Amino acid sequence: MNEIIIGIDLGTTNSEVAIIENGKVVVIADNNKKILPSFVGIDDQGDILVGESARNQYLVYPERTVKSIKRLMGQDIQVNLAGHAYAPQEISAIILKRLKAIAEQHVDQAVTKAVITVPAYFSDAQRQATREAGEIAGLEVVRMINEPTAAALAYGGNQVEQKRMLVYDLGGGTFDVSVVNIEAGVVEVLSSHGDNHLGGDDFDQQIIEHILDHLQETQGVDLRQHSKALARITRAAENAKLVLSDQPYAKIEEEYLLEHEGAAIHLSLELSRIDYEEMIEDYINATIDAVHIAMKGAKLTPADIDEILLVGGSTRTPCIRERLYNEFGFEPHSEVDPDLCVAMGAAIQAAMISGQEVNAVLVDVTPYTYGTSAIGYLNDEYYPFTYVPIIHKNTALPNRKTEAFVTNHDGQEVVNVTIYQGEDPDALNNIKIGEFLVEGLQDVEAGNVITLTLALDLNGMLHVSAQEKATGLEKSITIKNAFSRFEHGALDTARHRINKLFGQNETIRAVVKNEAPEIVEARKLIAKAEALFDITSNEDKEDMIDLIEDINSCIEAGLDDRLQESVAKLADIIYYLES
Amino acid sequence: MKTPYEILEVTEHASDSEIKQAYLQKVKLNPPDRDHEIFQHIHSAYETIKNVTSRENYALFNYPEADFDALLEQAFSTTQPSIMNADYFDKLLHASIDDKTFLIGNLTNTTA
Repeated sequence: MNEIIIGIDLGTTNSEVAIIENGKVVVIADNNKKILPSFVGIDDQGDILVGESARNQYLVYPERTVKSIKRLMGQDIQVNLAGHAYAPQEISAIILKRLKAIAEQHVDQAVTKAVITVPAYFSDAQRQATREAGEIAGLEVVRMINEPTAAALAYGGNQVEQKRMLVYDLGGGTFDVSVVNIEAGVVEVLSSHGDNHLGGDDFDQQIIEHILDHLQETQGVDLRQHSKALARITRAAENAKLVLSDQPYAKIEEEYLLEHEGAAIHLSLELSRIDYEEMIEDYINATIDAVHIAMKGAKLTPADIDEILLVGGSTRTPCIRERLYNEFGFEPHSEVDPDLCVAMGAAIQAAMISGQEVNAVLVDVTPYTYGTSAIGYLNDEYYPFTYVPIIHKNTALPNRKTEAFVTNHDGQEVVNVTIYQGEDPDALNNIKIGEFLVEGLQDVEAGNVITLTLALDLNGMLHVSAQEKATGLEKSITIKNAFSRFEHGALDTARHRINKLFGQNETIRAVVKNEAPEIVEARKLIAKAEALFDITSNEDKEDMIDLIEDINSCIEAGLDDRLQESVAKLADIIYYLES
Repeated sequence: MKTPYEILEVTEHASDSEIKQAYLQKVKLNPPDRDHEIFQHIHSAYETIKNVTSRENYALFNYPEADFDALLEQAFSTTQPSIMNADYFDKLLHASIDDKTFLIGNLTNTTA
C-alpha cells in the first residue's frame, strides 16, 4: 500500500485537508464540516482551541485568540496568545496539527507527510515559514504547490479538450492570478502574478474603519483601543460583507458595545453595496491590473482565454464578476467550490508524489525574477549595482541557470554575492533576499571567472552557489527565511511547545503497554523536562533536548546502559532547575 | 549533446502544433517531479523550437559551420530580389552549409 500523503490548503481565513480515496478526491469533514476556520485560541482551562470554537471565542476573548496568521508568515514578529508570545510558524503549526489529526482520524493511521498549498505570489521567506510550520506540526512538507495551480489541477485534471484558463484567486489575505493551459493531461501554468498582502481581510478593514468613523462622529467615542468592542465590530463587518454579496443593503447592528461616560453605546448603521464597492474599488483595480500583467506574461489576449476559474471566498464579491465580465466578455465559472478546490488540487498532487496513477501532470512557473547585482551601466552611466536577472519571471520549475562574472581588480580575494528578487534594472530597487561572500580567491589579475548558479526547486525555493572557475572553490547557500531563521534546535523547541499546548506528548502517546519500568520512568522524566521548557534558559533547554533525543534513540535501539546514563543526566538538570 | 528536435523526437519540419503535442507527451511521461533534469531538458528544448521565431533563432546560432560569407554572397547574387521569408532563409542557410555552389535560381524553383 502506498504511504498516505495528505493535501492541505492552509488559508488565511479557512483551511481544509483532502486525500485521494479509491481514486476520488475527498475533502475530509470534521463534525460534518469540511472547512476549518483558521483561528487558534486558548480557553479558560488553558486548553487549545482550533477552528470554529476558537472563532466563536474571538468575540469574547480576542486577547486569547489569533486570526489570519497567514498574513504574518515570513515576518520576524511574534503574536500574543494568552500571555505567551508565538512565532507565526507556531500558530500555523497548531492549525496544521489539527488538520493532521482530522486526517488521521479519517484514515485511522498516522500521517506524517503533506503537500501544502501556498499563494503563488508567496516569497521565499513566506514559503520557508510554511515549511517550518509543517515541521513543527510533525508533518514533512513533501511539496508546496501554488494555490491557483492546485485549483486548476482540481478543475482541469479531467479535461479532454485544450483549454486556456485564467485562475483568479482572491482569498482572505492574498491575491494570485495565473494563466493556465490545460492540454493532453498536462496542466501548464504560463504565467503568474499577484499581491501577497491583498484579500478579503482588507475589505473587512474598510468596513471596520467606516463603522469606527461613524461611531466617532455620531457618539464621540473612539473604540480603537477596546479590543472586545473591536472584535464585535470586526465580526459585524465580516457579516455585512457577506450579506452584501447577495443583497443591495446590509444592516449593521450591535447593542451594548461599550459603556461610555455612563451611557451604553449601540451601533446601528446601514451600508449599501454601492458604498461598499466604492470602499474597495482600489483593491479591485489592483487585482485587474495584476490580471493584465499575467496576460501579458503569457503573451495572450482576453480572446485567447476559454474560461475563468474563481478561487477563494472573496471572489463572491459581485463587482469582481462584473469587472471580469467587462474584461473578457463572458461569465466566470462557478462549478467548482471556490473554498475547496485548492485542497483538492493539493490532494491530487500528493497522490501523484506517492506514486498513484493520476491523470494530470503539473508544470508550474515562478512569479518572480531572481538575479544578482554587478558593476555595469545604468542609463548609460557607470553604476555599481546594475541588476543582472538570472532566472526570469514565468520560467517553468524546476530551473537551474548559471552565469559567469569576472573580478573587477587585480588580486581580488573576495567577491560579495547579493541575490535580489524583482524586475528593476537598479538592483537596489529590488528586494534583497540573500547575500554571501566567496573568500580566498587566487591572487590573479582582474578577470578571474566566478560562475553563479541559481536553482529554483519545485517548491519555488531558491538555492544559490558561486564557484571560482579556475580552482573549483565553491560557496553555496539556500535562501532561508531571511527574517526569522528557525534553526534546527529552535524547530524542536517549538515542536515541544506546541505539543504541550495540545496536552498530549507524542512520546507518551506512543508508549506500548509492556515496556520495561526503566523506559516508563524515562518517558515520565521526558514529560517533566518538557514541562520545564518555559522557565528554562536556552542553554539548558538545548542540553535537555539533546538528552531527550538521546534517550528516545536509546529506547528505540535498546541501549540500556547509555539510556541509564542519559536519564541520570537529565534528572540532574531537572533537579537543578526545580531547586 | 542532443538537439532540441532529437529530444522531442520531431523532424526539423514539424509544425508548431506537432512540436507542442510531442512536448506534452514527453512531459506526461517525465513529469517535473520525477526527474528534474530530464524535465528541464524537455522544457528548454520546447522553448527553443516552439515557434518560427524561436526556431530561426536556434538555427542562426546552431547550424554547425554556416559560412556566412557564402551565405551573403548568395543572398546578394540573386537577380530578382525575392521576399526573405522564413522558409527561404532556412533553405539558404542549409544551402550554405551543405553545398556552397548552390544557386539562388535553384532555390526559387524548389520553393515554387
